[in-house]
Amino acid sequence: MLVLPSRSRRNGLRELSGRRALGLSAVTLTVLVSLAFAAVGCSSSGASSAEIIVTGSTTILPIAEIAAEDFTDQHPGTRVLVSGVGSSAGIESVTRGSSDIGTSSRDLKPAEEELGLIDTPIAIDSIAVIVHPSNPVDALTSEQVRQIFSGEITNWSEVGGEDREIGLVNRDEASGTREAFHKIVMGDSKFDRSAAVLPGTGQVRSVVANAEIAVGYISLGFATSDVKVLAIDGVVPTPETVRSGEYPIQRTLHFFTDGEPTGLALEYIDFILSEEVQEGVVRDAGFLPIPREGD
Amino acid sequence: MAEASAQNDENHKKAAHGLRLVSRSTHLKEAGLRNLFLLCAFVAVLGVALIFLFVGWRGWSIFSTYGVGAFLGGAEWDPIDGIYGILPLIYGSLVVMGGALALGTPLAVGTAIFLSEIASPRVRSIVRPAVELLAGIPSVIFGFFGLLILRPFIASTSGGLGFGAATAWIILAIMIVPTIATLTEDALGSIQPGIREASYAMGATTWQTVYKVLVPAAKIGIIDAIILGMGRAIGETMAVLMVVGNAPVFPDSVTDPIATLTTQIVIDMPYATGDHRTALFGMAIILFIVSMGLVAAVRLISRLQSAMEANR
Repeated sequence: MLVLPSRSRRNGLRELSGRRALGLSAVTLTVLVSLAFAAVGCSSSGASSAEIIVTGSTTILPIAEIAAEDFTDQHPGTRVLVSGVGSSAGIESVTRGSSDIGTSSRDLKPAEEELGLIDTPIAIDSIAVIVHPSNPVDALTSEQVRQIFSGEITNWSEVGGEDREIGLVNRDEASGTREAFHKIVMGDSKFDRSAAVLPGTGQVRSVVANAEIAVGYISLGFATSDVKVLAIDGVVPTPETVRSGEYPIQRTLHFFTDGEPTGLALEYIDFILSEEVQEGVVRDAGFLPIPREGD
Repeated sequence: MAEASAQNDENHKKAAHGLRLVSRSTHLKEAGLRNLFLLCAFVAVLGVALIFLFVGWRGWSIFSTYGVGAFLGGAEWDPIDGIYGILPLIYGSLVVMGGALALGTPLAVGTAIFLSEIASPRVRSIVRPAVELLAGIPSVIFGFFGLLILRPFIASTSGGLGFGAATAWIILAIMIVPTIATLTEDALGSIQPGIREASYAMGATTWQTVYKVLVPAAKIGIIDAIILGMGRAIGETMAVLMVVGNAPVFPDSVTDPIATLTTQIVIDMPYATGDHRTALFGMAIILFIVSMGLVAAVRLISRLQSAMEANR
């Protein structure tokens, strides 16, 4: 019983870094359920309550996992099991009690809000629309961005730029950034399928940095001076405008607990919210720290 | 030493006569090695058979559930909406392969002729290892080269993003040069020296000898070399993935993004489930059939040609 969790963690759970490992999620959930029973059994016998299960969004996986390693280093004898099975599965598992913390890169749906889950925002992810530094266009409306990425606008002159074709750079469909961008900006519109599809944030940035006609989108944390970040609806994405909620293309990353967190779960959440993790792990992973109370 | 080789000769003779006059341990060793090599060959064949069966087993149902015509002839690939038409991908694979062969074959055959017929031993000792080294470069390095050096160049020339068939042609053409060049050089080298000498003795120039005598004589070997180059071009994934732009559409020009069967499989595999995953295996079946068909067709042509020559 004591060996199983650590083995699962190394061999099973940690490999679920694919964005949507749906096929595996059922297996993972089964494992998690059995682990949860194990944890309950152990805590009732008083042997070890020093284990929590964190499951859900793959976007949050890097933060939760690295923080878990640091946390267990600082708290010997404890164990934090982290897995990425998707936000919905995370919310479901914390509701059913098979995990202590459910992580999610989206807000609760109306039906889920009645479940009595306690929301702890842990980081903010914003998506920047980027163009080549020489592009005269500085700002777009979110409607224009939608029209550009759906292929309705194909020339920069239609949005106040030079008379040149727009070179669309999109992410692959496994990308969480693409999913979020689609949800926030595109609504019911579809992406233009003739766009170049690149399998990585770094590639999108490098291509946009080198092609004068290109437009793409990446997590704000990855934007460098090689590319120009556009203002959307008149708001330039900066840590301040993202924090205040003015910048439209952003989402909050959540930890959900069933009732107020207690014990080790509370300690772990406090650790995630500590300045050490917020300024370290969270920023390193390309996200923005959550506004601190009193800020 | 001499005694040992005499002993060997003796053994060979005895073996040749079907006499089992070797020691029992030698006999066992011989039988063991024979079976070992049989096993090696068997593993290779088994590997191909198992892969084919596995891919077929995972992918065949797309043809029955989605329909052969809709799958092969559908012009739209949109897995999120459950639309699995792979015609743009087949088109992409053929366009990328065809262009790469058209660029790479003359380059490779030219290299082989230079190495075999023209270069001095000193030059050859530099050029040949360089060509062989080209074969050893991992394809992801070609991809990086294509993405970071060639693509921006094509982008500034064409005014686009630089992703597209044209970029892949150049990268793939370079990648298939060692395959075709090495095998073509072997084919030229295996021509009987008498034929070459007879041509020169008739007063033919180097060019006339190459064009009229050597290339026709090595034709079958060169065709084999091109088949292997073709196989590499249609199967190459990583380098192509990095430069084609991966848009599953019929592009307007060779500098617009395009996708091939192999690149789409790589892009989609991490998250594909259900019918989508089956469709990816269906694409693998198509790749299998396309490459087998190409090999069979070209072999048939070369056999017909050699039969015609024999009749002449």
